Amino acid sequence: MENKEILRKRVDELAAKVNGDVQEILNTLVLTVKGSYISETLTAAKNFEEVPCDFLHDLTALDLGEQFAVVYQLSSLKGPQTLRVKALISRDTPVIDSVTRIWQGANFLEREAYDMFGIQFKGHPNLKRIYLWEEFEGYPLRKDYETESIEKRSVMLKMRPGE
Amino acid sequence: MDVAKEKELREAELMVEKNVIVTSIDKVLNWARGHSFWPVTFGLACCAIEMMATGGPRYDIARFGWEVFRASPRQADLMIVAGTCTRKMAPLLRRIYDQMPEPKWVIAMGSCSSSGGPFVDSYSMFGGVDKIVPVDVYIPGCPPRPESLLFGIMQLQQKVANPAKVRLLKHGE
Repeated sequence: MENKEILRKRVDELAAKVNGDVQEILNTLVLTVKGSYISETLTAAKNFEEVPCDFLHDLTALDLGEQFAVVYQLSSLKGPQTLRVKALISRDTPVIDSVTRIWQGANFLEREAYDMFGIQFKGHPNLKRIYLWEEFEGYPLRKDYETESIEKRSVMLKMRPGE
Repeated sequence: MDVAKEKELREAELMVEKNVIVTSIDKVLNWARGHSFWPVTFGLACCAIEMMATGGPRYDIARFGWEVFRASPRQADLMIVAGTCTRKMAPLLRRIYDQMPEPKWVIAMGSCSSSGGPFVDSYSMFGGVDKIVPVDVYIPGCPPRPESLLFGIMQLQQKVANPAKVRLLKHGE
């Protein structure tokens, strides 16, 4: 069997286990699951037999209106397989398990998603803003974020000690 | 600066002009300053690439005598703000400017540093570096070509060499 067929089989098995939904979009398998299953899903994907998706390529989030989707782009250094995992979480309580225990590199990526969307990653070692400054109010990539007026933005920020 | 103060300065300058030695020294100094800018490297975004190209051999900023890009603000007298200055960067830009010794000038290179450019409605931008430092020359473009930067510095050279004329042009007296 070719790499792609094996991957499809593994993903289908996993989807049945975690109650997920598999689609193929532009030659990439997309596995949509509920937010509570994310640790289980990604641990399984990392340990796929023959086609391990063991490299976290990117982590980002989407604002879908009613809910948020946290998107994990997986690939591997051992083969051509790629997999996209989408975890849906509710907008009112945007909490999801951190994957820093599975991939150390998720640390900064999760901080970015927290910075821009306000998604709380449970178990993250250092969850604070990464691009914006600590005093910044709101989460700018949410659809309902309103940018401050240019007059307010043009006031120079105070320099923090150590900068 | 207000117009009345400018007028007062202009009159004082006319008085000083009667003193030949001082004005001659001033002229020489201004000529020398205009022909030997030492820019501080302040590349923030894509405009910095054009600034580097200007410093390279094809456009060769050295033929005007401005080639000494300094890594330290203490040794520089011209700040070329090349690129997008975000709100987080603004206090640092101001500090670099404060660290430069007098006399000093600022060029806002590109539409981002002149007015915010395409990012002006973004949460992390403010409207141009003239909100935090006094800008002498604005260079439009996104990013401006090296010729534009050279022309901009030449305009600044005119400004430095003829301080009285610049003041006249500004207020149309």
